[in-house]
Amino acid sequence: MSHAVAKPQGWGGGTSPLGTSHGKLFMWFFLISDALTFSALLVALGFFRHKYAEVWPTSTDVFTHFPFTHAHLPLIYVGWMTFALILSSVTMVLAVEAGHRKDQKSVVLWMGLTIVGGFIFLGSQVWEWWIFIEGSPQGAMRWQWINGQWVEQVFHGANLKYNEYSITPHYANFFFCVTGFHGFHVFSGVVINIITFIMAYMGVFERRGHYEFIEKVGLYWHFVDLVWVFVFTFFYLL
Amino acid sequence: MEFQDGFPNYEVLAQHDNQAGVGVRKRLMNVFWLLLVVTLIEVGIGWFWHDIHVSTGLSKTWLIVGFIMFTLLKAGYIVMTFMHLGDENKWMRWVILGPYFVFAVYLIYMTTVTEGSYAGKEEHRDLLYPVTKTTAPATPAHHE
Repeated sequence: MSHAVAKPQGWGGGTSPLGTSHGKLFMWFFLISDALTFSALLVALGFFRHKYAEVWPTSTDVFTHFPFTHAHLPLIYVGWMTFALILSSVTMVLAVEAGHRKDQKSVVLWMGLTIVGGFIFLGSQVWEWWIFIEGSPQGAMRWQWINGQWVEQVFHGANLKYNEYSITPHYANFFFCVTGFHGFHVFSGVVINIITFIMAYMGVFERRGHYEFIEKVGLYWHFVDLVWVFVFTFFYLL
Repeated sequence: MEFQDGFPNYEVLAQHDNQAGVGVRKRLMNVFWLLLVVTLIEVGIGWFWHDIHVSTGLSKTWLIVGFIMFTLLKAGYIVMTFMHLGDENKWMRWVILGPYFVFAVYLIYMTTVTEGSYAGKEEHRDLLYPVTKTTAPATPAHHE
């Protein structure tokens, strides 16, 4: 039986030409609009990187920290965050697969692990933001607007006006904006996952006769992972 | 009462039995390993880029092209396998990807070919935050 989806018979009616339920189709429509929002952010990032090419820092010089050690480990922490998100992505897709078999126990298990992965990612991001905002002890000299005049003095860490990593504030602005907007998506994804977990545990989908809800939630969660793949490349790697 | 339009129940048609599930899971795990390996390669290249650059003489352009290729590869597998777009029918795939690419390509065109062609030039730089550290900014415009 497996993938024996009825083929659309032209426009004779009775089938959907897209061969998909309404819920899933509209989840996709939402994801397209969300994807365009993220595209706009990333394209703007590329534009500003180009405009401030001489003063835009290299990520391997900025993201060098790892918890519990002072060793110089560029990109390893971001790699770890990517790993956490990919792992929670695979547990999500396994939950979807278990839903296709109507295996309630496995759905609950995989959804639970997905939520754990989501929290690990969020926690990692909090730590990264903290390190980024706190900055290094030596800081960097920056012109700052203090008490009605420009003063050049040491500045540590980052806020929306100044940061020690670059002369242009756009660097920190884009960091906060892009990773923050993505992190907010992860947060809402975790909330939705928790609701789905509870619904699966209570047997709502068992009574409904199908687990398509898991599939729709999975679409959103994978989208979050997909966005991170691009953020990882365009903010951290390049 | 649930809404009924007389269409086949696509929610139920997507289901499969335990037998088919084994193959599906194997494919999903393969994609997971692929994503993991590509990510590790990316981090490795990012870490050792300076050494690679010095020893092989590859330019930064190749790094950027390579990273974008890796990213698109990963994105393709996530969308087609994890998000099951590869299992949907042809029209569904076009309805989803077509409009997105039209706008994405236009966005990239706009910021590289049109606006990007002059934005990097000296006279268009932000006056408020100069690129030289030695002089104070000229106009303390909107602050406080």
